[in-house]
Amino acid sequence: MTVFCTLAGGGAPAITALQLNAGAIAPESAVLVALLACLLVDLAGEEAASRWVPPICYGGLGTALVLLALQWNAPLEPSFLGSFLADNLAIAFRGVVAASTLLSLLISWRYVERSGTPVGEYAAILLAATLGAMFLCGATDLVSIFISLETLSVSSYLLSGYMKRDARSGEAALKYLLVGSAAAAVFLYGASLLYGLTGGETSLEAVGVALQTSATPVTALALVFVLATVAFKIAAVPFHQWTPDVYEGSPTPVVAFLSVGSKAAGFALALRLLVGCFESFDAQWKVLFTVLAVLSMTLGNVVALAQTSMKRMLAYSSIGQAGFVMIGLVCGTEDGYAAMVLYMAAYLFMNLGAFACIILFSLRTGSDRISDYAGLYQKDPLITLGLSLCLLSLGGIPPMLGFFGKIYLFFAGWADQQYLLVVVGLITSVVSIYYYISVIKMMVVKEPQEASDVVKAYPEISWSLTGMQPLRAALVGCVLVTAIGGILSNPLFTWANSAVAGTPMLQHAIAASESAVAALG
Amino acid sequence: MTIASVTQLICFVALSLTLVLGALGVVLLPNIVYSAFLLAGVFLSVAGLYLLLNASFVAAAQVLVYVGAVNVLILFAIMLVNKKEAMAEIPGLLLRRVLSGAVCLGLFLLLLRVDLTTPWAVPGPTPLGEDATTLIGIHLFSDYLLPFELASVLLLMAMIGAIVLARRDVYSSDVITGEAADQGLIEKERTPLLLESPPRDTTLLEKV
Repeated sequence: MTVFCTLAGGGAPAITALQLNAGAIAPESAVLVALLACLLVDLAGEEAASRWVPPICYGGLGTALVLLALQWNAPLEPSFLGSFLADNLAIAFRGVVAASTLLSLLISWRYVERSGTPVGEYAAILLAATLGAMFLCGATDLVSIFISLETLSVSSYLLSGYMKRDARSGEAALKYLLVGSAAAAVFLYGASLLYGLTGGETSLEAVGVALQTSATPVTALALVFVLATVAFKIAAVPFHQWTPDVYEGSPTPVVAFLSVGSKAAGFALALRLLVGCFESFDAQWKVLFTVLAVLSMTLGNVVALAQTSMKRMLAYSSIGQAGFVMIGLVCGTEDGYAAMVLYMAAYLFMNLGAFACIILFSLRTGSDRISDYAGLYQKDPLITLGLSLCLLSLGGIPPMLGFFGKIYLFFAGWADQQYLLVVVGLITSVVSIYYYISVIKMMVVKEPQEASDVVKAYPEISWSLTGMQPLRAALVGCVLVTAIGGILSNPLFTWANSAVAGTPMLQHAIAASESAVAALG
Repeated sequence: MTIASVTQLICFVALSLTLVLGALGVVLLPNIVYSAFLLAGVFLSVAGLYLLLNASFVAAAQVLVYVGAVNVLILFAIMLVNKKEAMAEIPGLLLRRVLSGAVCLGLFLLLLRVDLTTPWAVPGPTPLGEDATTLIGIHLFSDYLLPFELASVLLLMAMIGAIVLARRDVYSSDVITGEAADQGLIEKERTPLLLESPPRDTTLLEKV
């Protein structure tokens, strides 16, 4: 689909018959159509909404995923006059975002209905967050980046405060809003500095060119500001303070989306900005990111040990997991980037699988305390098995998908001589295994008489209510991929490698760093 | 000195005076309603300065956004709170005032120094004047088309979200089972998050 855009105006720059290449955003359009359809269906009342909104969302996101698959390896042309670029990297991350929304929606219907909040608006806001995140993955000028960042952020604030009669949800939304607005302001300040450096251009290409010739303190300031925004989005220590409270107070399916979809978009933004633009400041931002990664891995995994709430534990664990992914970013090699993509995809399945189990448990018992899981294997083998497999995978135990993702990251780090990062990563992985296993131990090892009161009063397992079947499908699907994906992970490796190979920006950065190494050696 | 430049000078002096005096009033007056109205005056005089600089679009945006939206919102917030309460005496108020005054003065001197030491390119680029609006329009529908369209999604979502959060639906129930629901998290709090910490210092809230 090619749209010719013709403009006529007095004193206008000669923009006539420029190709818009609007086909690049076809997947986003599918999401947008689903969003509007959800809002329209919602007008017919809550009951109609709860019947029709789920299939509309599946349709929209499914179409988006298919369209993304069709875009894979397509000839690259910047669309919207340089606002958007659908390279393989963007497609891979957009795919992760769309899949995370799809899975989050599958596990949220029952949760949202049980809490008595409107379903149609919930789905619409989550789809808007997806739209923002997907645009963020491919945006290539500062204005588009800012607007898509805000679309993602504003929708996330709304979603975290969605359980409006709950003080914790309100607290989460307010905290997220205040910290997020500060981060947005910081980004805007950094972007305005970059805009000034280019002399009035907003495209990242122009920014990259301008940065190569200017080494003023202003550039360093802009780098720090941009880095702070990225670190806030991926919840890297010390920009993580919002994470535990927001994760604890937000509705659990929203947390599932925030921990995967929002984070994936953050990493895509990091690649686009840091690798694409700040090439001449390679050494500087890599040092900063090394510090962030070490801090995130250490603090995230150590503080998670002390948590009593499952959601809070997963919040700290997600901080630690972001630290692992940052190893790949710091490497800057072909393997490093591929490992990032692969680990995000693996994290999608194992983390959402864990969240599906937690949501199922809280729907049946109304609790998310780790001690309440005691003796669960007697009453609910499915949750026990699913949660155990997902947590083992998150901890990086061999046959699971997470192990292969993690080993690839460490391998890439070791090959690039990032010994500090790899050693810290290995040690903190061992620490993380402790708290993941202690949940499993709680569920499996306790005798029936030692089971918690909640488990003793466990309701009979039933899947008959609307919304339970999608939850079960998501749970089983995620657990299957997590368990079997490890053994059959070769297609995933190929996919991650071709994502990097099909991205000119990354290839350029890899070639530049290789030539720099050759010049030194 | 032509009549045009004299008029311009008079306008500049008048606007600047309103701006500075208004801003001082916003900060120094004890009554917050006066401060809010004076803030509107400050915004308007900034819009006037923009007009003097031949930036009519920015001036219009300034009036629409700051006076029309932000300031009205501030006034709404003040009038909704509408609480007559004697404020507790803050210890060391004079010292605080002197300190914050010193910080502001320092910032002002810093700005002044930047202003005086920067080699400004005088005269700057010629202002576009009335063409600016046309040019902005062209940009919005060419190279900034994508963010422009995405902004509409952002605004739509913000509006819907605000309605959802503000709507007062007292009776809510599970659509599927018909059970009463409380629009809260499914994970009920057993050790409440807010009550774990000791009661908050309420004087902090009143100060704001």
